[in-house]
Amino acid sequence: MTPQAPARAAPAERRAATIARVAGALDGVLHEFVETRDGMPTLIVPRDGLVEVLSRLKSRASFEQATFVTAVDHLPATPRFEVVHQLWSLTHADRVRLKTRIAVDAAWVPTCTHLWPGAAFMERECYDMFGIHFEGHHNLRRLLMPEEYEHHPLRKEFPHQGIEPDRLYRAWEKGRREEFFERRAKEDSK
Amino acid sequence: MGSLNPDPTRGADAGASDLKAWPGGPKTYAGTTPGRGPHPDSGAVRTDSGAFRPAGGDRGDTSPLSAADDSGNGFMASSLDFLINWGRKNSLWPMPLGLSCCGIELMAMIGPKFDLARFGAEAARFTPRQCDLLIVAGTLTWKMARACRQIYDQMPDPKWVIAMGVCSSSGGMYDSYAVVQGVDSILPVDVYVPGCPPRPDAVIDGIMKLQKKIEREHPHRRLLRVPDSVEERGHEMILRAPNAAVEVEPHTSSTHEKTTYFVDQSARKPEEGAR
Repeated sequence: MTPQAPARAAPAERRAATIARVAGALDGVLHEFVETRDGMPTLIVPRDGLVEVLSRLKSRASFEQATFVTAVDHLPATPRFEVVHQLWSLTHADRVRLKTRIAVDAAWVPTCTHLWPGAAFMERECYDMFGIHFEGHHNLRRLLMPEEYEHHPLRKEFPHQGIEPDRLYRAWEKGRREEFFERRAKEDSK
Repeated sequence: MGSLNPDPTRGADAGASDLKAWPGGPKTYAGTTPGRGPHPDSGAVRTDSGAFRPAGGDRGDTSPLSAADDSGNGFMASSLDFLINWGRKNSLWPMPLGLSCCGIELMAMIGPKFDLARFGAEAARFTPRQCDLLIVAGTLTWKMARACRQIYDQMPDPKWVIAMGVCSSSGGMYDSYAVVQGVDSILPVDVYVPGCPPRPDAVIDGIMKLQKKIEREHPHRRLLRVPDSVEERGHEMILRAPNAAVEVEPHTSSTHEKTTYFVDQSARKPEEGAR
């Protein structure tokens, strides 16, 4: 027989407990709770206080895991982007969501890879898709698209069929062919 | 089911009606690149239905016992062609380029249940240098396209390409910035197998179609240095005529609009509304 799991509290109670724990951990740091449709405890955090909030949530509220780091493009709203951090507590089995609003002409947020090294890939993907820079990331390269790619495909102004999607391939192929014919000409001249 | 390149100028169901035009059951006339008419030397005639029929009636076979094959070549040349083609078509060595779910069906096809060995093509090798049949199975992205093209270039000639599944045939449901809208925009494709993914027997059907197509090739021309037509085999021309025009046509907003082969453009008839 597997041991019986302890009865879980009602969702509203658990949510209230999470909010209380988060608010306690963030005492004295600028943040704001907002209501969301899915009922997950959600905070709006300014960019300047983001690292402080994240490190407090990790150390004091025991959110041991960064489940994902991503962004939302709210074009044409200003500020345009919303960087979303979602954290998961292994100890308390609950989640919290952080939103940081940033403008398109200053599209950067501090990295959280010093707190959760596993967030590195998610930040790279976010950079690749939205062009949001994560300041302090040790290896902020594109993750999915080719490294020479110029666009950020998940930005709202990007057409889903792409802008010259085969341009990089054709350039590569042209270079290869030229190289081939040069080598061939060299061999022929020998 | 697998089909030879459907004639782009005659609509999607043109191939089916062509098959009906053959007395004695479906036969595939694969001596030419579809859409461009038969080889100039072939003496083939156009039937009422618009299908091209080889000269010499509906014989359809390439037996050396026939005085000459449909290309109008003599007994020696057609015997040589028959022998070489017989060897080639019955020992295809596939290079499985499994890119997504089609790769699973490809494995099933090679495995014991569907048993591609019955068609002499079970010896899949994972090095392109030992293969002559590239099966592009799955969604090809532009990032992967470079690897795909390199694999194709590393394969020794003669070589054939099967686009397996709708993704590799046309991009499929991925009308996206990241996906190649049909591998024929980077490679010359011999057989397209629709399906998402196609069943293994559909791919086997495609391979049988390819075997029919190989039967109709004229390898003696290369062997005996007989001048060949550019239209016969686009990708042989790539290797043979390095100084031919290789200008890449400028890309338009949708890759559906243009199919680019690296062949001598001056020797090629313009295709209206290709694909």
